[in-house]
Amino acid sequence: MTAQSSGNATATMGNPTPLLAVSDLQIKYGSITALRGLSIHVGGGEIVAVVGPNGAGKSSLLCAIAGVVPSAKGAITFLGKPLIGLSPEDILRRGIAMVPEGRHIFGSMTVDENLRLGATVRTDRGAIAKDIEELLETFPILRERRKQPAGRLSGGEQQQLAIARALLCKPRLLMLDEPSLGLAPIVIDQVYQILTMLRQRGMTILLIEQNATRALNTADRTYVLSAGSLRLSGTKTELLNNRDFDAAYFGVAEAETRVLP
Amino acid sequence: MINLVQNVVDGISVGSLYALTALGIGLIFGVMRLINVAHGELITAMGYTMLLFASQSVVVAMIGGMIAVVLLALVTERVAFRPLRSADPATLLVASFAVSFFLQKSIALVIGYRPKGINILPSLGQQVVVFGVRLQLLKMATIAVVAVMLILLTWFLKRTRFGLEMRAAAENFRMAQLLGIRGNRVIAMAFALSAILAAAVAVLFISQSGFLTPRMGLQLVVIAFVGTVIGGLGSLVGAAAGGFFVGATTVFLQAVLPPDLRQLREAFVYLVVILVLLLRPQGLFPASGLKERV
Repeated sequence: MTAQSSGNATATMGNPTPLLAVSDLQIKYGSITALRGLSIHVGGGEIVAVVGPNGAGKSSLLCAIAGVVPSAKGAITFLGKPLIGLSPEDILRRGIAMVPEGRHIFGSMTVDENLRLGATVRTDRGAIAKDIEELLETFPILRERRKQPAGRLSGGEQQQLAIARALLCKPRLLMLDEPSLGLAPIVIDQVYQILTMLRQRGMTILLIEQNATRALNTADRTYVLSAGSLRLSGTKTELLNNRDFDAAYFGVAEAETRVLP
Repeated sequence: MINLVQNVVDGISVGSLYALTALGIGLIFGVMRLINVAHGELITAMGYTMLLFASQSVVVAMIGGMIAVVLLALVTERVAFRPLRSADPATLLVASFAVSFFLQKSIALVIGYRPKGINILPSLGQQVVVFGVRLQLLKMATIAVVAVMLILLTWFLKRTRFGLEMRAAAENFRMAQLLGIRGNRVIAMAFALSAILAAAVAVLFISQSGFLTPRMGLQLVVIAFVGTVIGGLGSLVGAAAGGFFVGATTVFLQAVLPPDLRQLREAFVYLVVILVLLLRPQGLFPASGLKERV
């Protein structure tokens, strides 16, 4: 019953080898199955969203790509090379940065220290200061709070810091797990403006959301996940015109996240 | 008055020795949530290695001892603790007891339980007169050495790249890895640092006591560990402050308790410890990483 409305969405990108390809990914935590053979791909320069209700396996997918789920089975290739079995440290060095759910900024350390830690893997020491300056132009609130402990920032400011920190390793692919979680609507707007701006600068983004409206409006393509399996995929228009979409997503999700046409 | 100054200096020197021991434990607890009881055997091993080199100069003994202890710490990490990295804290604690007993009994097997006399820095035994108060040079040296070590450690943690990475790993190990910080390297570095602290503690402690036993390190570590708990597990400032507090309290009680009760002064120290923990169960300086986030 996995109706795929647009199996060859890469055609829109005209890119035969995607940046990231996940195929037949299976994840089990003990006797609980989080993902049952999921296949997705992300082309260079795309924003791809994965939406679905709580427990659909979205976070497990990102964690597996980032290398923090040792039990993941299947294949994950990035730039044509396999990722499964690599440590999180090595996967980051391949060019994949993750902003995890809950942001996980280092609260006792200053904003500046958090940013410098983002550049841990870089060897071009001289260029880091320049890049931090550039990011502070993009995120002016962080410049104001540069010397303050990051734990004192508001949720939205912390989300900006987490994104800025992830960008400092100069990733090829930026992954965000529920960037709107726990933020006020106006702050979510800001976060999504940042993502749109990053795409304009050529960043490839893989985004996970429970907030399907935001995700559909921002992403080039969206995958709908439920109970560990892929239900649908396609562009916003394709999904909204698909009769199965409501059933796939809203059959189990909360009414308040209803998509506006 | 003179007595008071002597007691204060004494209290500071004993307190700072425990502070340094507690910091060694706190560093490891920070990066891997391991209460490393075997930290004591690093102190003991430093003592016996210096005994081995005693015929050479003191400097050779110290450098040789320090290298040996750093290597020993790295080996225990690699062999005993790294395979258990993802195990729960209770398993890690039991493993550290195992390492501690193994090292302690190995030393006893080779050298025996009988105390060995050692006199590494005899020149520090003399008294100096400061503003009319006679003070033992060793106590002043202890305070000075610990102060320098604290400044160096603070500089390392705040100003160097490795220090930054270590603090990040202590606050959120998984996130540190997601930023590309090498978990294995940070932990190895923490073990090496804790070994250097243990070596310094050993030199100062042995200069004071003048003898070695296989159990000496464990005794120090148990008291210092109480200090880290009082200070707030997971916080380095807390570990140093808590260690200092326990050490200084011991000396203070020794000075003020009536002679009959002095033998029982540890009981009074732990009474104070219990009171502190009843009033502030999270410790005096709880780890900032554990604060709630919005």
